[in-house]
This record gives sequence, C-alpha cells and structure tokens, in this order.
Amino acid sequence: MFTRRDLVTALAIAVAGSAVPYALGFNQYHVLLALQALIFATIVLAWNILGGYAGQLDLAAFTYVPLGGVVTCKLLEVYGVSPWLGMPVGALAAMALASAVGYPMFRFGVRGVYYALSTAALTVVVHEMFILIIGPWDFYLPRYDGWYYLMFRTWENLYYVVLTLFIAVVLVNLAVSRGRLGYYLKAIREDELAAEALGIDTRKYKLMALLIYSSILGFVGWPYIVSQRTYSAWSFSSSMSIYVVVAGILGGRGSIAGVAVVAIALKLVEDVLRGYIGGVAPGAHLLIYGLLLVVISIVQPRGLGAVLERVPTLVQGWVMWWRRS
Amino acid sequence: MVPTLILRALVDGVLLGLFYSVIALGLALIFGVMNIINFAHGDFVMLAAYITWLVARALYLNEAAPVAIVTVPVFFAIGIAFYRLIIKPLLGGDPLIQIACTVGVGFILQNVALILFKAEPRSLPGLLLGTYIALGPVSVHLAKLVAGAVSAVLIVLIHRMLTGTWLGLAIRATAYSEEVAKTFGINTDRVFMLVTGIGIALTGFGGVLWMSFGQVDPYLGASFALVSWIIVALGGLGGIRGLIYASLLVGVIEALTMTYISPSVAKAIPFVIFIVATWLRPQGLFTGRG
Repeated sequence: MFTRRDLVTALAIAVAGSAVPYALGFNQYHVLLALQALIFATIVLAWNILGGYAGQLDLAAFTYVPLGGVVTCKLLEVYGVSPWLGMPVGALAAMALASAVGYPMFRFGVRGVYYALSTAALTVVVHEMFILIIGPWDFYLPRYDGWYYLMFRTWENLYYVVLTLFIAVVLVNLAVSRGRLGYYLKAIREDELAAEALGIDTRKYKLMALLIYSSILGFVGWPYIVSQRTYSAWSFSSSMSIYVVVAGILGGRGSIAGVAVVAIALKLVEDVLRGYIGGVAPGAHLLIYGLLLVVISIVQPRGLGAVLERVPTLVQGWVMWWRRS
Repeated sequence: MVPTLILRALVDGVLLGLFYSVIALGLALIFGVMNIINFAHGDFVMLAAYITWLVARALYLNEAAPVAIVTVPVFFAIGIAFYRLIIKPLLGGDPLIQIACTVGVGFILQNVALILFKAEPRSLPGLLLGTYIALGPVSVHLAKLVAGAVSAVLIVLIHRMLTGTWLGLAIRATAYSEEVAKTFGINTDRVFMLVTGIGIALTGFGGVLWMSFGQVDPYLGASFALVSWIIVALGGLGGIRGLIYASLLVGVIEALTMTYISPSVAKAIPFVIFIVATWLRPQGLFTGRG
C-alpha cells in the first residue's frame, strides 16, 4: 500500500514537525499557533478526500469538528471519561450525523450545488439546535493537566498528538488516492453518470468518502476546542467551513502536498496580518483570501498542486539551461 | 385573540416572502440562464444596503425608498462589470470553481465593508414609513407593507418582460440552449451581460427595500445568500410562479415559527424543509410552467 518513499516522507514530516517547538524556543504563543495551523491542515486534508478526490463540495466541516469536540468534552466533564476514549466516540457521533444526512442525499441523488447547499443548511440547523438545546452562551473548558485529560498547561504535548494525527491523515490520503477507492472517487468527480454506467456503486463510495472525512473531523474536534479554550453555538460555523474549502481549492483538489502547504500558510498569514494590521483593518486577511481565491480560480483553477507538479520539470529545465550556457 | 396572532404572522410572512422573492429572482435568473452558481448574491444585497445608507445620509434623507433611483442603475453597471470580470471566464466551468470564485467575491465585499464601515449595524430613521397601520384586525409595519407591494409589482414587471418582449424571448431562448439561440442570431454574450445586470440590479433594489425597515452590518449577506438559494432550489427552475410559491412558503413558515415557537427554530425550519425536500424532489417542489 505504501512505498518506501511514502514512509520516508512521513518520517521526514515527523522529524521536521517535532523540531518545530524546539525551533520556536517553546514560546507558548508560537507553539499554539503551530498547533492551530496543524489542526487546520488536518481538517483540510480530511476535506480533500471528499472534496478533492470525490468532487463533492461539502460545506459542513465545522459542523463535524465542534460536534466531535463537544461530545468529547461532555463525556469528560460529566462522566470523567478520558478524551482518549472520548475522541473516538466524538468521531462516531460525527459519522452518525454525516450518515443520517448523507445516506438519504446520496440515495436520492442529491448532487452538485444541491449537495453544497444541503451541507451548508446542515451547519445552520445544528447551530440553531445548539442554541435551543444547550444555550447561546460561551462555554469554557475545565482546566486539567495531564495525559489522561489530553490537556496540558503548555501546548507542546498536544502539538505532538496532533502532529501524529496529521501524519496519519496524510497516509490515509495517500492510501485512498492509490487504492481502488481513490480511482472510483476520481471517476465520480470527473463524470458521475459515466462512473455509474461503468458499474461503480457511486452511492456506496461517496458515502465511504463522507464517513472517512467526518470521522477524522470528529476525532480532531477535541484538540480543536482545546486550542480555542472555549466552544459555543458559533463554533458551528459556515464561514469556518468555507475557509476549509478555500484552502482545499487553493491547494489544488487532490494534491496532498499542495493542500497541506496552503492550509498551513493561510493560517500563518492570517495570524501575521491580524497581528500587524488587525487593529486598523480587521478583515484584511479575509480580503486577501478573497482576492487570492478569485484570481486563482480564474487563472489556475487546479490550484497550487498543479504548480507544485511542474516544479521538478522546471528545475530540470533550469539545470539544463545552466549547463548549456 | 389567537386568530389575530395567526393573521399577523401570515401577513408578516407574506410580506417577508415577497421581499425574499426579489432577491431570489436575481439569483434564479443568473443560475437559470447561465448555469452560474453565484454565492456572492447575498453580499451584493449587503453592499446595496450600505450604499443606500450612505446616499441617504449624504442627502439628509430619512427614507431609503428614493435612493432606489441611484442604486438600481449603479447595480446594473456593477452587474455588467461583474459579468465581464468574473462570470465570463467561469462560464461552462466546474461548479466547484464557480462557487469558490464567487465566495471569494463575497469575502472581498464583506471585508471591504468591514474595513470601511466597521462592524456596528447601521440603519435609517425611516420616520415616514416607520409607523404601523391597521389593516382590518392586524396592524402592519408600513415600511414592510410598501416593501412587499413594491416587490410584487417588480416581480410582475420582470415576468412581463420575460414573457412579453423580444428581450425576454431572447433570454428564454438562451436559457433553453445557448447553441440554438446563437444559430438564430441572438447575441448570447449580450444576453448574459444583460441578465447579470438585471440580476444584480435586483439585489440593488433588495438592499433599498431592506434599508426601509432593517439594519445593515457586513455579515448581512450571509443570511440572504443561503435563504435565496434555498428558495431557488425549492422553487425549481423554469418559472417565476414556483419561485414565488417557494418564497411565500419560506416567509410564512419563518413568521409562524417565530411567533409560535422561537426565533432560533424559525431560522432552522426552512433549512430542515430544504434538506428533506431535496431528498424527495431534487427537481424542486413547485416545478412546472411559469
């Protein structure tokens, strides 16, 4: 399933990623920033499976992430269950919601813009239900410290946990793209009717992609709300879900390296902009995202992934040109 | 007592529905004729509301309504620019990329508004239209009544234009098939440009109507974007009639749940209906000839 090159890449990410807190001198603010960037990259890579390979424009990422986080948090607060157990339960909750909505949608052939709208509507519905059932307040997480609670006074340990998760999701992406599932999903993305005519059970494979995606999101929910220190009805956010899609499309749908690089870069650029000009122009980073999104979708709709693919040939070309002259 | 409450909710809902239908009609035109998925539609309404506020303030007007003389032509021009710069390169492209690009346009509009006007909500005094009048047993907010009536007139006018003029015929022919329309000598590029212009001009009108009773902040667009898409999807393409039924349905349900259950359920109910309706009738609830 994995070639030696994949394992070397995973190892390289692990080594480089582990070095980051040391390079930052354990400055807590910067480590937190790295953690948030990594969480976002994990979420976008999960979206890549459903949005990138299968071409289903899912706008509900930030329904599943906070859902998993809130389930894990409630289990810890009320029953004292460790997040190590709570996170898988959160993932199951996210999968349950995803299949409750996704199964009928795929069964009745909801696709294209209607799929996107339904998932956006799902986020609004869950947001309003949260207000109705739990309340419109901000909830602060209890303060714990230790591996049992998966919550620490400093950020490095959680960073390492998320780094592991990130590498796992990269490997899942590789496995999906190489395997039979990936070929089916790409066929569905290119032409769903043709894929069906070739005998691919499109419902089944779309549902599989949705379940992989939602389970990863439910799992990463706990680190997400810990890194935010709080959760509320506004954690269930359409705009956050749209940022995920922005990163996924800018990165190039289906390009693992492109998506990961863009997700991390966007998060870091956002923070730098917020720090420097946030006081004067609060939405400047989003304005720049908007401009990037418009320009890239018109000029290079395949995103950074297409540019990255050409890098080796470009480098080769330069080397040859340099040797000749 | 109770019947009055129901009646008032119904009247409110119908007026709200008529207002929604103006915005949704612009969206339906752009989607129906060009197959362009525009996610920035709500943000154009937001922009129009701000421009209305600015112009009214500059001219010391208390009411939003007269500003329509300015916003509608301005937004027609903005629509044409929007077509030339953004829509034309996206024609016939991947729907995902269309959504991404128009979301980008929405981001730009929202955050320019945030930088220029800050996050605080703005509204106009609306002294003349701010009163309530008795309409039989129910009292109705005059501004909403006017907004509803104007919306209804506008819808009828657009319907007449689409069914009774050469331009309307050209638009319908292009929506039916771009290739066929071209072979009959219709300049489809110009039709597309006009349709985008009309669609965005309708958001300009919607912004004025909204400012006659509501208030605007940079995130106003998000609430209209999803609702108007849901109306278009429920109404199904192919007729103004379906669109109006869907708008009235959404408006009335929203008003009824707002009165009887709670505002937060009222916001969620149309979406629940939409999700279930797409399962049962993916082609829309009210498809038929219009």
